[in-house]
This record gives sequence, structure tokens and C-alpha cells, in this order.
Amino acid sequence: MRPILLIAWREYRQYIFSRGFLLFLIMFPLGVVFIGAAIGFLEKSKPARDYVILDQTGVYADAVSEEIERRRERDLVEAWDFYVSIAVDEGALEENLVPAPYAPGPLARARVEAFHTAGVAAAEASIAPYLQGGAPRFDAPRHLFVRLDLPGEAASASSLGEAVERLRPYLLDQKRIAGRAEPLFAAILIPQGFGAGEDAPPAEFWSRNLTDTALQAAVESALEQTLRRQAAAEHGLSLATLEDLAVIDAPMTAYRADKTEADAELGMKDRIETALPAAMTYMLLVIIFGAGNLLLTNTIEERSNKIVEVLLSSVTADQLMMGKLIGIGAVGLTMPTIFAVGGLAAGLASGGGEWAGYAVSALFESHLLAIYLFYFLCAYMIFAMIFLAIGAVSNSLHDAQSYMGPVMLLVFLPLPFMLMVYQNPNGLIASILTWIPIYTPYAVMMRAASDPPFWEIAGATALMLAFAIVLTMAMGRIFRAAILQASPPRARDVWKLARGK
Amino acid sequence: MPEFVLTLENVVKRFGGFSAVDGLSFNVAPGEIFGFLGPNGAGKTTTLRMILDIIRPSSGRIEVLGSPSAIPVRRRIGYLPEERGLYRKMRAAETIAYFARLRGLPGKEAKARAFALLDEFGLGDFARARNEALSKGMAQKVQLLATIVHDPELLILDEPFSGLDPINQHTLEELIRDLKRRGRTIIFSTHVMQHAERLCDRFLIIAKGKSRFEGDIAEARAAFPPRLILRTRDGVEKLGAAPGVRRISDLGEVADNERDYEIVLAPGADPQAVLKAAFEAGLSLSRFEHAGASLHDIFVALAGEGSVPADAESPAAEEAA
Repeated sequence: MRPILLIAWREYRQYIFSRGFLLFLIMFPLGVVFIGAAIGFLEKSKPARDYVILDQTGVYADAVSEEIERRRERDLVEAWDFYVSIAVDEGALEENLVPAPYAPGPLARARVEAFHTAGVAAAEASIAPYLQGGAPRFDAPRHLFVRLDLPGEAASASSLGEAVERLRPYLLDQKRIAGRAEPLFAAILIPQGFGAGEDAPPAEFWSRNLTDTALQAAVESALEQTLRRQAAAEHGLSLATLEDLAVIDAPMTAYRADKTEADAELGMKDRIETALPAAMTYMLLVIIFGAGNLLLTNTIEERSNKIVEVLLSSVTADQLMMGKLIGIGAVGLTMPTIFAVGGLAAGLASGGGEWAGYAVSALFESHLLAIYLFYFLCAYMIFAMIFLAIGAVSNSLHDAQSYMGPVMLLVFLPLPFMLMVYQNPNGLIASILTWIPIYTPYAVMMRAASDPPFWEIAGATALMLAFAIVLTMAMGRIFRAAILQASPPRARDVWKLARGK
Repeated sequence: MPEFVLTLENVVKRFGGFSAVDGLSFNVAPGEIFGFLGPNGAGKTTTLRMILDIIRPSSGRIEVLGSPSAIPVRRRIGYLPEERGLYRKMRAAETIAYFARLRGLPGKEAKARAFALLDEFGLGDFARARNEALSKGMAQKVQLLATIVHDPELLILDEPFSGLDPINQHTLEELIRDLKRRGRTIIFSTHVMQHAERLCDRFLIIAKGKSRFEGDIAEARAAFPPRLILRTRDGVEKLGAAPGVRRISDLGEVADNERDYEIVLAPGADPQAVLKAAFEAGLSLSRFEHAGASLHDIFVALAGEGSVPADAESPAAEEAA
């Protein structure tokens, strides 16, 4: 056992204590923070989008700008609610000490209007006594869209087509509207006769930017709202009534049929418990791919460096193989473990203690972790042996490529079906994948939280173990026979090696 | 102490239809330096791999240090393969200590021995250098030190001199002699006869997987006819009738119309009879030398014929090489 552990430790150290890996460990969280900060900064520094409206109907232009402003007001209150939920002391929130309209709640029209009438300063003053120590000030969202007056030449155009031609230089930044630092972002043209009717001409949205569709969506939504309001008014409904109707939610609670009434209500804990197996399965795929590549390159290096014969004079081929499997497997587990622990720690530190706690209890207070580990080891063994054997029959990565294509296909083939197994863990696809030995680990892990039939899991697992043993023996034979050959065996000879001929 | 450190009895290794080793038998006694000589493709490396149980013989018996397999006694064996390399990113001392630990030495002792050996062999300053930064000669020394760090009873060195400069070849020869003085048994393969002639107590010549000779240099010479080298301006035809002369070969002109001749004698013939015949024939001799068969001659005579070329393309031939 000692030589196996020595080899495993050397393999592990080689990767984990390499400068590259340590640098990656430091750089990754820094990178995430940097990217997050950069996105936030860029978002904040993004210029407001200027737009103009040519409204031949005379009805919709102001309605659109009012609707956009109303949306901004709602966004501001939504941002405020989020700020209050993390900045205000939890006890104060539980005791409802924050007064209306500043306490987080539904974005009803009356509340949004009351908030804006009072202003952000009043809102901040209302929560000041309950702020947690060191909480930052509320950063109100900026105006993202600014409506400008239509340039004179466009306003005097005799048709929409002519107006577009007169606006085009502004949209292409050949002309600037006086006093503006940025080119005109979009022009909205509302033709005569625009309305909800099927034959009504459509509104036009002109812009040079084809990727940022936020303004287009806002205008579209604003026009829809306006048309609906008009329709509602025709049916005798007031604007206020319409707003009140919009915030109505149907109360519904989901329950788990497999639990007693007392704890059957579906909550975050249940959702995490259900999602965790899927997350672990995808992680398994990533680990197998990563560790498999390490095994492959590492074996090729030892083969081409001629180290392997020195090693084989000190340990048996089986010990060398096992040492490599354990060492590289541990490398494969290290990174996700670090990120999982780091993620949970970050979750706990950033106030996400509830979900982090649920994730920990889902892992450690059930049989799931044991299942994950068992099937992880089986899947790793199956695929790692294949990678190891490919490494043993290849003098270079180029040699290995001819074998890697089919193997990669095998590794990732179940990926498209995983969503189906997730959504229907005891369905046909799930059963089929369960009975294919190389996919048994994936399928069983995906189904772990949904109580699949015991006989199916036991039978498929027995089949998988038998397959894993046969495969390990065959791949081991290839490894032992090929690792010392000066030139790689031909593809047709590999099958003979696998059979021990 | 057992009679033999190593015994091979009728060992055969076949790769498909190709016999890389064919009925090989020999013994190595404790404390001797045993040369394993043969041309490229003769089956030397295959035999050494079988001795170490890295590959299994197709038939026959191998006993190493009293064990039917080298695996249980691996810690008592040091092996330097012909094709050898190092982990590029590992440091020199770390490499030696790693192999020492693989062969059973505790961590601290392995490390201490690694540093001591590097000091002893003039590489103390490079103990913490990565292997990729070492010169080829230094790297070969590190490989050799990794082979002897656990103080093995039996050392198996496959072409240990290949790639070494003359100074390092001399150092290695001294090391091998020193290990013999300390009671270790050394088996080394080579196709450079000078090293074998200088170092070996006994040797085995192998060709096409078969043993062609086993014994010491005196036995080998005794088995080969003695030779005389003569240098003269005169004709040597009359010497053909001298007692014991089998063949006279003209080796060519040397200088001032002088030519060298090789006279092959019958086993046990007296060279003095040839000298007497030369005087009687009135030959003016500027050189008369009694030359026993060199190991090189013996090797060429025994192994040179029909050896497997080194660049044979079949995988079996590669294995045999």
C-alpha cells in the first residue's frame, strides 16, 4: 500500500502544489470579484440612452415616456426593497419596525407613488435607526433612458420615410443633438392609425445598436400598457383599477406527496435537496473530464520521458496504476471541494446562510453524500482506466487524439438526456441510462433524491460493478503491456492487448 | 550466503511468433561483476526486464536473491534501465529521495542519503535544482544515484555507460569497482567491450536470444586460437610451414615498405617456434607480438553473425532491443 500512496502523493503534489494551480486558486476568486466589480462599474458608467419619438397620432409619445418613467420608479422601489432586506437589521424587519411605504412588499401603484412623493431622502431617514453597522448608503438606480425633443428637421418631415432619412445622420453619429455627449440611440416612430387593431400599422424602432434591446423592450411594453389601458378604459376600468389588478398574485403552496402533512410544504430546503444531485452529476462530468485529461497527459509524459521503466523496477504496474488513479482522482476532487467549501463560506458570510445551511444538511444529514461518493468512485474508475490505457498506448497527444474522439463522445453523450432525467427521475430515459453501466453512476446520482425502485438501482449497480471490474482488468492489461513498448501498438493490436493475448 | 544471487534456467520469451530470448541459462555468484554482452536486439533488455519481473517469461525459471520473483525482493535490487528519464519538474535530491522511499527507506533517511550522495558525486550545489535544469551528464548521475540510494545487494545496469563522457565513464567504472569491494553484485549489459574487459569477473555473450559464451576472459581467450603480429619488409611465405601456423593474413603496409601480418596459430602451439622459423628464413623483424584474442574479437566472432538489427520495425524486435 505504501508505494501506491507514495505515487499518489507525488502525483497530487505535482499538480496541487504547482505554481499554476496555486495561482489559479488565488486568481479565480479575485477574477470573479474583479469581473463582478467591472460589470457593475461598466453598468454604472454606461451612458443613458437618448431617444426621440415622432408620434403622428399625438396620443402615444407622452404615454410612452410616462410608462418608462413609471417603470423606473418601480425599479427604484424594487432596488430599495433589496437594499432594505440586506442592510436593515433582521430583527427590525421581523418586528415590522420599518414604516410603509419603505418596508419591503408588493410593488403596488399606491406604494410606488407614495415612495416617490416622499423621496429617497425620507426613505433613508425612516430606516436609519435600524441599519446594520457598516451598511452602505442606498445607491438609487439612474435614469437609463432619456427622451429628447425631436430635431426640427425631423418634426417638419412630411412622411415617416422622410423623417427616418432626416433622423438617420443622428443615429449614425454624423450629427449630434445639441448639448448631448452621446449619439442618438434610437428613434421611435408611431404612424397615424397605430393601435391594437389587426390592420393597424406597426410602430417603428430605429437604432444602430442591434444588441442592447432594453429600450426597445421598454418602449414595446409601454405601448402595450398604453393600448391595454385604452382598452380597459373602453370597458369602463380606471387606470388605478388596472394597476391594482396587475399586482394580484394567486396564493398557492406546493407540497411533497412523499412527506407527512406537517413537513410536506415544499420549501427552499426541498428545492436544494432536489437540485443538489443534478449539480453533483454535472460536477462529476467536469471532474472526470479534467482528471481524465490529467491522467492522459501524465501517462504520456512518463512514457515519452522513459521514467516508467525506472518506476516499474521499484513498484508493480498495478501499484503504479493505482497510485496514479488515486493521486489524480484526488486532484480532480480538490478543486470542486475548494470551490464548494468556498462557495458555502461565501454564502454564509454574505447573508445566504439559509440556503448554505440547507445545502450542508442535504449533504450530511442524509444518505446522499455516501451515494455520491460511491458512484463518483465507480464513474471515475471506469473512465479513468480508459484514459490511463489511452495514455499507455500513446507516445504523444497526437497519438492519443484518435482514441479520444470516441471516448469524449461516450463521456458527454448522457449530457442532453440529463435534463430529462432531472425532470422525470423515474421515467423511461432515466431507467435506460441507469441500465447502461458507463452511465449508471450519472443516472443514479440524478435520481438519488427521488426514491427510484430499489431493485432497479441494485440490479444496475451490480451490472455496473461487474462491468467496471472487467473493464479495469482489460484496461490494466493494455496499460501493463503497452507502457513499456517503444512504439505505440497499432489500434488493431490494442484489442488483443485488452484480451491479454 | 546462497550459492547464486541470480539463476536463469532455460528462460524463453516469445512475442507472438518471435523468440526474443530462447532457452537462456546462467548463474551470477554473490559479489561478482557480471557482464551481459550482446549486440543490439540480442535480447539483453528483455532478459533484464524478466529478471526484474517487469515482464514474465514465456517459460523457464528465474530465481533472484533466493526468490522466484523479483517483486518481493525489489528493495534489495537497484535497476538502471537503458531508456531512462527523470520527472522534469522534480528537484534532483527530491527525485533520489522519492525512489529511495519507493524502495522502502523512511522519508528522513531517504532525504539525508539523497543529499549525501549528491555531495559525494559533486552535485551538492544542484541538489535543489529542477531536473530540467541539469545537464545531460548531471541528469545521468542523478539517475544512477537514484539506482543505488537504497544500497541494493544486486545492481542491474542496462547499458550504464551509454551517453556518458569519458570522465563520467571513468567515474562510473570506479563506482562499480567500489560497489564490488563492498560486496555488492553487479550485472551490467553493454556492447562496448572495453568496459566489460576492464570490469567483468565473468560475462555472458548473447545473440539472437541465445547464449553464445559464459565464462571469464581467460576462458574465452583459451577457447580462441592465439595470434602473432609480425612487421617486416620481407616475404613471410616460408613461415606457413612452421609448426602450429594455421593461417597468415596480410594486414597491409605500415611504413617504408614494412607490412604487418597476422599469424593465427593452432590452440596450444608455441609462438617461439614461429620466431625460430623467422630467424632461420632470414626475415628482418621490427615487430613480433603475441596477441591473445581480444574480447572485442571474441564478441564479434560469437555475436556478430546474423544479429538482429537495432532498427528492426517489428514490435517484438523492439521489445527484444
